[in-house]
Amino acid sequence: MGRVGESDVANKQNSNISQTTGNVNRNIGSSIIENEKTFKSMFQHSSDIMYREITIHDQTKLLLIYVDGMVNTDIIVSNILEPLMYKGLPQGLGAVESVIEMFEQERFSVLQTKKVSNIEEISEHILKGNLAILVDGEQFALLADVKKIETRSISDSAIEPALRGSRESFTENLRTNTTMMRRILATPKLKIESLKIGDLTKTDVAVVYIEGIVSPPVLNEVLKRLKGIQTNGILESGIIEQYIEEAQFSPFPQILNSERPDVVAASLLEGRVAILTNGTPFSLIVPMTFWSGLQAPDDYHQRFLFVAMIRWVRYIFTILSVFLPSIYIALTNFHPEMVPPELMLNIAALRERAPFPTVIEVLLMEFMFEGLQEAGLRLPKQIGPLVSIVGALVIGEAAVSAGIISAPVVIVVATGGIASFIIPRYSFSFPLRMLRFPLIILSGILGLFGIAIGISTILIHLLHLQSFGTPYLSPVAPLNKRGLKDVLLRWPQKMVKKEEDQI
Amino acid sequence: MKHTAKICFQLLLPLFITTGCWNLKEPDQLAFVAGNGLDLTQDGKLEASALLVTPSGIGGGQISGGEKKESFHVMNTTGKNVSDALANMQSMISRVVFAGHRDIFLVGQKLAEKGIGDTIDPFMRNAQSDMRAMIYVVKNGRPQDVFSSEPFFDPFITTTLSEEQEAIGLKPYLAREFVVDVLSDATQPLLPAVSLNPSKQYSYSGSAILDKDDGVKLVGFLDKKESNYALWITNRITSFTLTTYVPEGGGDISLTIDTVGRRIRVKQIDEMIQIDVHLTGEGAIIENNTNLDPSNRKDLLLIQEKISQKTQKSIQQLVKKVQKEYKMDIFGFGESVHQQYPLQWKTMKHNWPKTFPTLHVSVKVDLQCRDSGLANSSLNRR
Repeated sequence: MGRVGESDVANKQNSNISQTTGNVNRNIGSSIIENEKTFKSMFQHSSDIMYREITIHDQTKLLLIYVDGMVNTDIIVSNILEPLMYKGLPQGLGAVESVIEMFEQERFSVLQTKKVSNIEEISEHILKGNLAILVDGEQFALLADVKKIETRSISDSAIEPALRGSRESFTENLRTNTTMMRRILATPKLKIESLKIGDLTKTDVAVVYIEGIVSPPVLNEVLKRLKGIQTNGILESGIIEQYIEEAQFSPFPQILNSERPDVVAASLLEGRVAILTNGTPFSLIVPMTFWSGLQAPDDYHQRFLFVAMIRWVRYIFTILSVFLPSIYIALTNFHPEMVPPELMLNIAALRERAPFPTVIEVLLMEFMFEGLQEAGLRLPKQIGPLVSIVGALVIGEAAVSAGIISAPVVIVVATGGIASFIIPRYSFSFPLRMLRFPLIILSGILGLFGIAIGISTILIHLLHLQSFGTPYLSPVAPLNKRGLKDVLLRWPQKMVKKEEDQI
Repeated sequence: MKHTAKICFQLLLPLFITTGCWNLKEPDQLAFVAGNGLDLTQDGKLEASALLVTPSGIGGGQISGGEKKESFHVMNTTGKNVSDALANMQSMISRVVFAGHRDIFLVGQKLAEKGIGDTIDPFMRNAQSDMRAMIYVVKNGRPQDVFSSEPFFDPFITTTLSEEQEAIGLKPYLAREFVVDVLSDATQPLLPAVSLNPSKQYSYSGSAILDKDDGVKLVGFLDKKESNYALWITNRITSFTLTTYVPEGGGDISLTIDTVGRRIRVKQIDEMIQIDVHLTGEGAIIENNTNLDPSNRKDLLLIQEKISQKTQKSIQQLVKKVQKEYKMDIFGFGESVHQQYPLQWKTMKHNWPKTFPTLHVSVKVDLQCRDSGLANSSLNRR
């Protein structure tokens, strides 16, 4: 199909006639030859743009422009080319006189058609997978929606696994994702507002919320901030996150991300706003609180007693993951009387041959642990297991038996590391991993007093932090007793009154 | 504003780095003291001894090569006073003495006879001192002998001593209780004593009576059985075993008492203070060498009555002995008077050491046998 290869040659000749920048906000002319030149110069050096010229009855000239690979060729052939070339004018309800009339009335058996004259707009539609049909002598292009984009199929969530609940996760295709939202929330109140962000990528971004539950100030703030983004490209929702979050220098994420439609739906029901981005399975959910970072997707699908216990396990491990290494340093180096005597003597015995001070030991091991984690993430899957073998063997076993690192430090660092893995939202474990280091140094200088300073600093920061107007620590601070039930226990579903928005 | 904050931070930063580790001490810079002892030498000098733990000796799983070291080291130093002796000790070792984990504090008999009121002060005053440590008086011995002995369970003796009291059913007598007793109005301290037992091991061997009104001086010792009775009255015992001869059955019966109760009633009759001690105990018969059948109600009541009577008699004798011989209110009767007659106590407390030996004390013991055991009567009865 089309005149592949020739387009490049034609473009070279026309390149000096008109320039791409000159086409902005210009309408197309009536001459099909001129128009073809315009588009070819615009899409020069683009071998995937296809041009197909058709002449009907030796008079009406048509030009079809599309991107190869993004359109459904079957529909083009059966619904557009065949009627025009062989079957002739439609003779069904309300016969049309000429091909021109057929175009004017948009008489094609395609779901969506549109008449557009602006060159810029036409080119954008072509690039998004629409077919543009130009008619000689008419000052518009008919755009037919024949999109067919190859996408990944819906699969299990790799980042947020859940024991119980939907297996679906978002894909890279925005439309598929909004479909999933519609399927879960079959109500006209579910609103999906569309935006385009990025001067070059023109990424489709959908703001999803439930009318009546969402708090209007939050929604307005989200829309305002999204519209304020000035950038060339949005490749991932993480870039949007960085543009719209409040405190960029805070280690804590203020926007939740999830690739699970059920999580997003649950958040919408709580009155939050979700931002879906084309090209990434990760959606953003605002506002976020500290506690939502510690909630797993299936917290509400399991029976409440078990979840209440697991939540506490999570809280305790969260504290451990941040404070365990620093507490170990403070206790062994500054306050040995606080450790039970037998344990202290054991630690002293194991430290007898250790060459480095405890602080250095802990920092060294933490550093190694972070390195292992990053290595495991970046390696090709096939060599992944190697990292764990090397890590466990060399750093755990050998370092201890060689007397370079004392055994309790390995235990402490490993426990802290495991504790940071228990955090259900992966992005929420980053601040906890980061905060370990300043706390280790503080406790190495000042002991428990240093840890106290660290805790106060972290708490003051958390109390100060807001996510789209919602205090980060709510409902604990400011205290909201009804919301507290969900933080401390996860109250039984039947007892939770309908429609309590905690935000 | 931001600029000022920046400068402040930059000025503070070197303060943190250059001042070094403030009071940081790695565990391998510390000499852990497990126990301290005080005694007098032959020529009357004050002698401090310490049991220092050798961490490399207690292992911990990563010993590689070389022979195993001793798990502890005992040091003795003399000095003008306790602090002087301890300073001498510090000057002889390469690590900072750390007493935060001291379990045991031993007082030699010789020093105890002279009075420990002055000498024990630095140990109690030291901020590092663990008030949950235990105090023992070494009967017929010196603290360093106790420290040097090798116990068979633990790597060093202090762990053994600190766990022993609880194992034999006593509430551990901690340093803070000693302080409370010494500072109280009337109660005299009753310290546990340690001595060499027939199997050549140092272990608990009753109690030592001290006189807090006279320099906390040693007055006398009670043996294990007497201690049990005395501790029953002061509510410092949780379980013990009584073996009593029952003449009606022609044999001994052993009773393990695990529910212990006591009540002290103070009566004032014509300006005379009378004290009623009511002791209760519930337990199981663990051995029956008589021809009585505990499953038979009549026999059971007989057994209970006989054991109670016998015990009552022994306790009355003990109270009398303490009143007459030692004249020390180790039972805390004074406190009971204080609680029940607070107004009268104000005038009475100054004269209490003199009043105590003349007190009329009546003791009543009620023992109950709960489980008679599976074999109802002694097997050889048939």
